[in-house]
Amino acid sequence: MASREIVRYRSPTRGAVQAVTVIFLIVFLIWTVLPLLIMLVSSFKELLDAFQLPAVGDWGDVGVMFDFKPTGRHYVELFTEKHFATYLRNSLIASFGSAAVSVSLGAMAAYAISRAQFRGKRDLLFWIISTRMAPVVAVMVPLYVIFRSSGLVGTLPGLILAYTTFNLPFAIWILKGFFDNVPYAIEEAAQCDGCNRWQAFRLILPLVAPGIGAFIVLCVLFGWNDFLFASIIGSGGAKTLPVATAELVQPVKIQWGSIMAAGVVTTVPMMFLGLLIRRYLVAGLTMGAVRE
Amino acid sequence: MAAVTIKDVWKYYGKTLAVKELNLEIKKNEFMCLLGPSGCGKSTTLRMLAGLEFISSGDIHFDDVRVNDLPPRERDIAMVFENYALYPHKTVFENLANPLKLRKMSRSEIVERVRRAAEMLEISELLNRKPGELSGGQKQRTAIGRAIVREPKVFLFDEPIAHLDAKLRSHMRGELKHLQRRLETTTVYVTHDQLEGMSMADRIAVMHEGVLQQLGTPSEIYNHPANEFVAGFVGEPPMNFLDVRLERSNEGLSVVHPAFQLTLTDAQRHLLENGNAESDTRIGIRPDNLLIESGDGGSLDIAGSIFVTEPLGGDMLIEANLDAETRVMVKTKIREMGGPGDPCRIGFDIEKLHVFNKETGVAYF
Repeated sequence: MASREIVRYRSPTRGAVQAVTVIFLIVFLIWTVLPLLIMLVSSFKELLDAFQLPAVGDWGDVGVMFDFKPTGRHYVELFTEKHFATYLRNSLIASFGSAAVSVSLGAMAAYAISRAQFRGKRDLLFWIISTRMAPVVAVMVPLYVIFRSSGLVGTLPGLILAYTTFNLPFAIWILKGFFDNVPYAIEEAAQCDGCNRWQAFRLILPLVAPGIGAFIVLCVLFGWNDFLFASIIGSGGAKTLPVATAELVQPVKIQWGSIMAAGVVTTVPMMFLGLLIRRYLVAGLTMGAVRE
Repeated sequence: MAAVTIKDVWKYYGKTLAVKELNLEIKKNEFMCLLGPSGCGKSTTLRMLAGLEFISSGDIHFDDVRVNDLPPRERDIAMVFENYALYPHKTVFENLANPLKLRKMSRSEIVERVRRAAEMLEISELLNRKPGELSGGQKQRTAIGRAIVREPKVFLFDEPIAHLDAKLRSHMRGELKHLQRRLETTTVYVTHDQLEGMSMADRIAVMHEGVLQQLGTPSEIYNHPANEFVAGFVGEPPMNFLDVRLERSNEGLSVVHPAFQLTLTDAQRHLLENGNAESDTRIGIRPDNLLIESGDGGSLDIAGSIFVTEPLGGDMLIEANLDAETRVMVKTKIREMGGPGDPCRIGFDIEKLHVFNKETGVAYF
């Protein structure tokens, strides 16, 4: 195989491009990380400290932003008076629950579609993905009516079901690509070994693990970030973190400290999840696409 | 009672005919080779035996059980695939243990059986590796190991050594044959390599375009091919074919070619007369059965000239022109033959001649 390395020679243009790249990355980093940093720091500040800002253009006085006595009051308040423990639990159950349901149903459906030949297969596949093409708001009203009459509004199962309607088509499409890449001969060998279809399916499941890992992350993120479903279908009994955070914005007294703390509580778990399976995510999203 | 009976089996893929009216009986403990070029239906036949393909019509029996509608796991077969089809996420040990686990054997028995099979195949040191860390030959041994641990009723091999390099392949031919004799298990072996069939099988079934061409021992297939296809497919280098006319002469029946004339033996004449042979026929002769001398002063009948010589170490292959349109391949032990254009003389070993019907390709002898 030929080397894929691209030969590069030094030239003034290349040097300039490199410098621009570095500057862009620094700006980009500040742009994304700074707000998060300010949120984190502010969540440990009393309200008065939070508004101690240097004058515009006064760079020498930036220190006042970090001159405060840290307090955990907002966090304590959040979890005692404002029931954020319940909302955190709801968020976790709804997003991971939907991921679990979508991945188990999706894997089986994807396997079947990948392996079986039947009339209308292409149409079926298109129909499955087309359910994902509709904007969420478009299906919101009918979905609400259906959920209402089935008593699912304001319940966690209702929320899990709502997320699954959006995650499942995605799961089927992603995982079908992965199953397509598992050689059929492996399953035939399994059948000769004495497996029935179900055992053969379970046997090759580890081979699509990167796909499943990647998909779980996307699925959890969808549920975790969602606001629309959570506020309409989950309202009341199944309130999740984004909705609860939004409710902290009140017309009279905006509770900045609590909002900052809630922001941290909402963001941090997903950041860790991302870091944890970053490698899976990259491998998962690219491996299915490229046939080796 | 045959171990495997294939009776009137047809296989269609959609409207494409893959196997046509196949009848084949495989004896107990026999090593049967299905031989043919790609697309001849041999792999399809094997997969129907395994239960991986439906049978369009006809019956397959194992002993006296009709297996048409049984899934692979209920047929008590073990198959080795062309691309090995090992489980990439499992170690060699787990690959071998899988069929035993599925039969709910005890842990100690599994370990013992895997150990025995691994020893037989000399892969004992590799048991903790995964397939990705094995060479082609080791993968192939693992795949065979997975088949033999279970002691099934029938082994099915689908070109198991096709992807190995030439040296390893010739080594594995011997190993596989030895293994089959030692395990005494009925074996069906699919290959497109006539050398594998000739060297390993008890009997060979030659297939072409979905039709069984000839069934016989390697020696029968080689020495008495049933038709032109079998004659041309089996043997390396391939048989020479020449279009000739049959003519009566004072000495009996002769084959007449622009470049030469041969008188047939009485036995050959009778076979042709009984077969109502047309006068336009085709003869075949293997390169080993042509004689050659260098120079033009020799005693052989036909004058020719050398086109090219290919030394093979021990033997030498010579392509020689008999006339402007006719070229034959000769295999000889002679070392000094001269170069292109040099004269030579060529003769036929008349006893080894084959004559075919020009239209149907069927052999008279």
